Amino acid sequence: MTITATDFNLNGSGTVTQEPETLNKIPGNRAVWVGIFAEMTEFALFFLVYFIAKAHYPEQFNQGPLKLNTLAGMLNTFALISSSYFVAKALAAIRINKPDQSIKWLWRAVCCGGIYLVIKVWEYHWNVGQGIETNTNKFYTMYYYMTFNHLLHVGWASGSLLWAIHQLKVGRYTQKNHLGFTAIACYWHMVDLAWVIIFPLLYVLR
Amino acid sequence: MIIKNSTLSALDLSWILLMTITTANAFVAETAEPSLAITALICGSIAYKGRRIMDYFMELNHANSTIQFFMRSYFHVFPAMIFLSDLFSEELAALTAL
Repeated sequence: MTITATDFNLNGSGTVTQEPETLNKIPGNRAVWVGIFAEMTEFALFFLVYFIAKAHYPEQFNQGPLKLNTLAGMLNTFALISSSYFVAKALAAIRINKPDQSIKWLWRAVCCGGIYLVIKVWEYHWNVGQGIETNTNKFYTMYYYMTFNHLLHVGWASGSLLWAIHQLKVGRYTQKNHLGFTAIACYWHMVDLAWVIIFPLLYVLR
Repeated sequence: MIIKNSTLSALDLSWILLMTITTANAFVAETAEPSLAITALICGSIAYKGRRIMDYFMELNHANSTIQFFMRSYFHVFPAMIFLSDLFSEELAALTAL
């Protein structure tokens, strides 16, 4: 397999050195990174509780993932990865002064966020049909706690993407001034990163 | 697959790789029996996916070094902890028993 891609530039638009906003800088602003680290710490605590619970109830954590809907988990991962990709494309578009294109990419990201929420709600209904509820056992308690918490993050992060679309439409985010947009993008990617760990913990590893 | 002189960006390639790894993870979930080797493989995929998202989607690969350090550490520490908590599950249970 040979892949010779000639334009491996940051975001596919210009080289890294032509985009000084990213070089040795805090992407977005300090405030959003305080939020991101706080959220990452919250998820870290969930993961620690998961490790301890799994050590105490190995049978439940071994059998639990087998009854979950792996397809739903996989489709949700696809939706989140694609949405992150679309958000990065939207940021690339505003950097080359194409706000209309940026808005289109953001709408795609919002759609992916919506797809995630729809799949998750459907999955919860499916679970109930299979007899999987919050108090079925310790594994499913962890599953509902982690995934519902993550679902809330996807919900309000989708709202922030809608806000970014509004700001682009009214011309407040421009090629020269889009730090707020970068901050929103970083937060969205953080939500994706949390799922990168949650998906294998709950659906894959036994 | 041969792609020559394309305008495939790091972003596009990252998206393709992440989708492929996710599909492989789901395949493992459906077919493989649990073992330490599988756990190690999944932990490796978590670390790689996290790094890819941070470097190319979040653009941390040339950003502030402190943020870069903490974010990258997170995706080294947690995959390692997943593996170690599997490897030493009995010791962890004994250590955390009330």
